[in-house]
Amino acid sequence: MYVYYQSGDLPVFVFRMSMEDYDYLFKIVLIGNAGVGKTCLVRRFTQGLFPPGQGATIGVDFMIKTVEIKGEKVKLQIWDTAGQERFRSITQSYYRSANALILTYDITCEDSFRCLPEWLREIEQYANNQVVTILVGNKIDLAEKREVLRQRAEDFAEAQSMLYLETSAKESDNVEKLFLDLACELIREAKQNKLDNNDTAPMPGEGKTINYLSCCSLN
Amino acid sequence: MAAEGLPCEFDVVILGTGLVESVVAAACSRVGQRVLHLDRRSYYAANWASFTFNGLLDWIQRRQEPPPQPDELQDWSSLLEEGEELIYLCNADSSSVSNVQVFSFTREEEESVSPPSTTEEEEAAAAAEVEEAEEETTQSTDIKEKESKEETFNEEDDGQAAGVDGEEHEAPPPDNQSRKKVSYSELLDKGRRFNIDLVSKLMFSRGSLIDLLIKSNVSRYAEFKNVSRILTCRHGNVEQVPCSRADVFGSRQLSVVEKRKLMRFLTSVVEETEQQTAYSGRPYLDFLCEQQLGDNLQHFLLHSIAMVTEDTPTEEGLASTRHFLRCLGRYGNTPFLFPVYGLGEIPQCFCRMSAVFGGIYCLRHTVHCLLLDKSNNRCKAVIDSRGQRISCSHFVVEEGYVATERKKVVTPTRSISRAVLITDASVLPAHSDQQVSLVTVPPVAAGAPVVKMVELCSSTMTCIPGTYLVHLTCQSVGSAYEDLSPVVTRMFNTPESHDQETCPSVLWCLYFNMVDGSGVQVQGHDLPPNVYVCSGPDGGLGHEHAVTQAESIFRNILPDEEFCPPAPNPEDIIYDGDSAPSTGEEEKQGEEKGEEEAGQSERGEGTGVEEVGQSESGEE
Repeated sequence: MYVYYQSGDLPVFVFRMSMEDYDYLFKIVLIGNAGVGKTCLVRRFTQGLFPPGQGATIGVDFMIKTVEIKGEKVKLQIWDTAGQERFRSITQSYYRSANALILTYDITCEDSFRCLPEWLREIEQYANNQVVTILVGNKIDLAEKREVLRQRAEDFAEAQSMLYLETSAKESDNVEKLFLDLACELIREAKQNKLDNNDTAPMPGEGKTINYLSCCSLN
Repeated sequence: MAAEGLPCEFDVVILGTGLVESVVAAACSRVGQRVLHLDRRSYYAANWASFTFNGLLDWIQRRQEPPPQPDELQDWSSLLEEGEELIYLCNADSSSVSNVQVFSFTREEEESVSPPSTTEEEEAAAAAEVEEAEEETTQSTDIKEKESKEETFNEEDDGQAAGVDGEEHEAPPPDNQSRKKVSYSELLDKGRRFNIDLVSKLMFSRGSLIDLLIKSNVSRYAEFKNVSRILTCRHGNVEQVPCSRADVFGSRQLSVVEKRKLMRFLTSVVEETEQQTAYSGRPYLDFLCEQQLGDNLQHFLLHSIAMVTEDTPTEEGLASTRHFLRCLGRYGNTPFLFPVYGLGEIPQCFCRMSAVFGGIYCLRHTVHCLLLDKSNNRCKAVIDSRGQRISCSHFVVEEGYVATERKKVVTPTRSISRAVLITDASVLPAHSDQQVSLVTVPPVAAGAPVVKMVELCSSTMTCIPGTYLVHLTCQSVGSAYEDLSPVVTRMFNTPESHDQETCPSVLWCLYFNMVDGSGVQVQGHDLPPNVYVCSGPDGGLGHEHAVTQAESIFRNILPDEEFCPPAPNPEDIIYDGDSAPSTGEEEKQGEEKGEEEAGQSERGEGTGVEEVGQSESGEE
């Protein structure tokens, strides 16, 4: 977090060790058709609950959970679509600066699977090139209603070089694994980048200009 | 993909996703209004949008097609109930943009270029389905980005070195390599990495838009870069304008005497003096002459700092000089910020805020007509493009959807001339190739317009490495081509320019005129009183016009509500007991932060979300 002081007309930015205690901060963004269980996945992971109703979560931009991986504290900032996917009207700015995308479909809904290429086009168009994308087939608790075979989804994910996982937000199957795997992958990439650049590369999500922008209200 | 229907009852229906409409949407949703936000287009931000290169080619092509046959006016009178009347909207928005001309000077099509030619290139463009080659160059962009950031914050050695470098070496070494020509197919292949704005504006660090972004917390959806230097074109040369104290002292263009004079002037101008008041009503130029600053300084102060013309009255010149100085140093060495990925992000950020607070978004969907309640002359509902009747208490609409005969516009209609260039080098090469520059260009001839030029580098994520994106804007005198091509020819190397091999080459350029939104009033049209008209972009450099307009619409709709209060920080939100056990950490935060925000908890009902009062960091 940057703190801004003013002396004369010269700005001075002091990098203050963040008050929060974490080694990495990653922005994870959920996409996929309406009703596939995106919000449920987030709430299961961040709050450990399965919201019974499908009420929209008004006023919540993203949810946060800090996890520890191999002794490192990783803060995950998980963003939801705010309902803009209902009429295919997600803003491009939603995809910007995401470190990872969770592309979700419903295994009991063929249609949500068939829309995946459309979502991939949006990703290609607006997301960062280096974004990590994981395909998630949700609702495996409804196995008897399955419309999309696991093999089919795996093949699709492989062809698009995405990771693939099947989850149940309701039964909490694989939800933890989904986010932890993603966090591991992001750490691996961050370290790789740091090596490649042979430099104290800013960690993803850090050093955003925005940080000091919001701090400017301190004046 | 979602064939579900829209709800049929809202408080506010908004048509058009330009900046003004989007701010109104965010403001209304934020205080609990049920908002439906629509746009007929498939993209956000209307005339404020930014496009990929390929997207821009499509946009151009749509401007050049004959306007689509006006949809058979559907007769919705069957939906009328007693005491109601229909007001039809129009769907043509092409009228706001005219005189579109495209030139491509890239290697492959050198011969095909003769003004004004367009169609071949576009067809070629449209034909070439672009598959992106992903990997390369992103990492280097990251590094560059970091470099340029560091630079901006090391105020001591920043600008002046840049100015001098440019003068001493005609073409500094690092530039030679990047001047390897970029081909047209490369522009197409990497087209998605361009974000080309239709409008060109900057954000004043203490202007109303930045204030609003911070106040509302919408700023969390975007990132910004400093405009790193201000340049001016003088006697055919591009020079750096010293703005901050560091610039002035570090400048090697200014003599010691000039430095003292400039500092004295900038310090004294902050306070109002009798001498200043004596000049009120007389030109600012006269006032500056009186200060005996010399040609150099006078040019900088008039054209680049006050950014006014020679006949601007003194009080106005002083006001804009003071505004400039107030904005200086808030974030960097110049008074301006620019959003990463372009200005088109900003309306979308406000739309996101509206959606987070329950606003419903639907692109490719429009309103065909309004239903007027004849008893009180108010708009009580709208009929959408699917023939659904949607009731609303207020209707906010982009100017382009309002039929001409119902509009009251200031005549003669003013318009803005725009040019967009993709070039291969900076107009003033410096030790870093990642500069964001504002260039003020005084009239090239008597009667010619004052041109503002913004040069963006690749770390703003608006163009690909090795290129610059240059936006030129002025109040129209003639067509965009007539107004701006003389400046382009003079400052850049194009087939029409002479002896200018040292200037940056233009790879591709676009000219067009856009209606100046500053002539459109919110009300006073032949429309019901609860219908509010939003103007498109105005010609000003800042966003004052749009933000003021949005606020005034909001005040009309909800006179007693706060305009864009801060959205809660997600980390300060606690989830109440019956649906979510809050973690210990969150509880602790909750206790510290204290009282709940009344009104907000009302909305939280049923969703299990409760908001904790924000820490009033603003007051500390």
